[in-house]
Amino acid sequence: MNAFIMPFLPELILLLGGLVIFVITLGDSLEKRARTAAITIALALLAASVLCFGQEAVLFDGAYRIDAFSQLLKLIISAGFLAIVILGGNLPDIRPAIKPEYHLFLTLSMTGLVMLVSCVDIITLVIALELSAFPLYFLVAMRREREGQRIQMESAIKYIMFGIAANGVMLFGFSYLYGLTGTTSLPEMMVKLQPVMHTPIAIVGLTLAFCGIFYKLAIFPFHFWTPDVYQGSSNETASLIASLPKVGGVAVLVRLASLASPDNTLIPILLSALAIVSMFYGNLIALAQKDLKRLLGFSGIAHAGYALVGFVAFNQAGFASALYYITGYMVMVIACFVVICRVSRDGSNVAISELAGLHRRSPLLALTLIVGLFALAGLPPFVGFMGKLGLLTTALARGHLALVIIAVLNAAIAIYYYLRVIREAVFGDDGGDQTPIVLDRSTQALCVLLIVAIIVLGVAPSPIINAISGSLAGLNLPLPPAAVY
Amino acid sequence: MNISLNHYLLLSALLFAIGFFGVLLRKNTLVIYMCLELMLTASTLALVAFSRYNGTMDGNVFVFFILTVAAAEVAVGLAIIVALFRLRQTAQVDELNALKH
Repeated sequence: MNAFIMPFLPELILLLGGLVIFVITLGDSLEKRARTAAITIALALLAASVLCFGQEAVLFDGAYRIDAFSQLLKLIISAGFLAIVILGGNLPDIRPAIKPEYHLFLTLSMTGLVMLVSCVDIITLVIALELSAFPLYFLVAMRREREGQRIQMESAIKYIMFGIAANGVMLFGFSYLYGLTGTTSLPEMMVKLQPVMHTPIAIVGLTLAFCGIFYKLAIFPFHFWTPDVYQGSSNETASLIASLPKVGGVAVLVRLASLASPDNTLIPILLSALAIVSMFYGNLIALAQKDLKRLLGFSGIAHAGYALVGFVAFNQAGFASALYYITGYMVMVIACFVVICRVSRDGSNVAISELAGLHRRSPLLALTLIVGLFALAGLPPFVGFMGKLGLLTTALARGHLALVIIAVLNAAIAIYYYLRVIREAVFGDDGGDQTPIVLDRSTQALCVLLIVAIIVLGVAPSPIINAISGSLAGLNLPLPPAAVY
Repeated sequence: MNISLNHYLLLSALLFAIGFFGVLLRKNTLVIYMCLELMLTASTLALVAFSRYNGTMDGNVFVFFILTVAAAEVAVGLAIIVALFRLRQTAQVDELNALKH
């Protein structure tokens, strides 16, 4: 019994926690208790992920698998979840009456993400993908209404419409993959797909199946929602949407991409085209932005493009560098969003000009912002630099020279707008407003931890890269029959 | 005339195309929503047909899950559309333009 429960501890904690918060939502004015419950769940989840590291088990006849890959990603996601709950603070831009519900949907979305990385069957994959997405649509719509801010419903509509459309395209692709192979299990599909991989229907099916993931990552044809949703949703929701689903998306993309055989030529060409368009589109439009969240939205499109560069190589090193990059991206973007959430007055959006004089108002926030943006810009010694280096070397090793040159060019464009934000924060005219921003203990700890993580991941990347590469080796292997419950 | 797998696939592709272009071209959120459902229907039809001709049941099982997901999607989507309508008294996409920078 104990051996059965142990590997699934993170999922069970989230489900139990979801139930507890659901009970809390039934009472009146219990928002403090809901927040305490959410923090407890996040801490317990992190502890459980550490405890279950290295476990192996299989559920639902091989549709749901606990392996080294899933456990590593659960650890990363649960660390991100804890950061998101802490930076949410008292949720200043959500109506008090629905704050407990906000925490409920947050926990449910996290359940979906944690399950997503374990799915090795397209049925469970679709269920987990939807479970992680539906609560996010509500979180966007839950922002408070007030004068000059009536955009949240509009962005929620855009988010859900694009979400379902991408989902429909992905399901259509899955139906073709199923038709070709007669199975829904990814490891079996991989074996059966190899002989027919050159046929147009296989390539169309796989490409359409990628679309659902491209939406999560905000890659070019599915990026339209990104800036609008970032701008329209509350700061806390935007920081969630910007960080954790992308980690889940890359994890699923790794599982799906290993379906295609490495010597296929068409899919790498397609992926590199999408990567190039995403990078140029995101970076060029980000140059003109005034709202900090919108700027991060466009830069997010560009960063998804960088992560896609790792998939163009179509080998284990490429997948590992994409996962490393997106993990780093999660930490960097959360660091930037901590600053947005704390600088913002009563939860409204932050214009870049409002950052002026931040180093006088709160030195720690200014330092977090500078480290986060330098890392996003890809300057050494931060994680953004090592991540880009890894991606570019793997792409270069497979002979994609043009792609590498374009990516470097884009990194150069991106430095301009990141430095513009930093210049505004450090040298901007603050108009005499020097009221210090008071940070509570947990936020201070979070800022320090994020800064340390960005530097440590960048200076000593080998432990995490080795862990990722090691976990990738066991990916999509046929099931050991003894492990099936 | 013998109805073969290709006929089903053709119909499913047609349904998908109608849904996809409807999403791109129509202006009313409710009509767009119906078109989105059409896209999901297209993939369920293809799955059932493939399941019949492959001789495995996995496709049929998948269809049940897709139907459930689609039902949840409608609940979430309609809730947001109703909330939007209360706030703005419109369900037309071209009137949702507050988010242009």
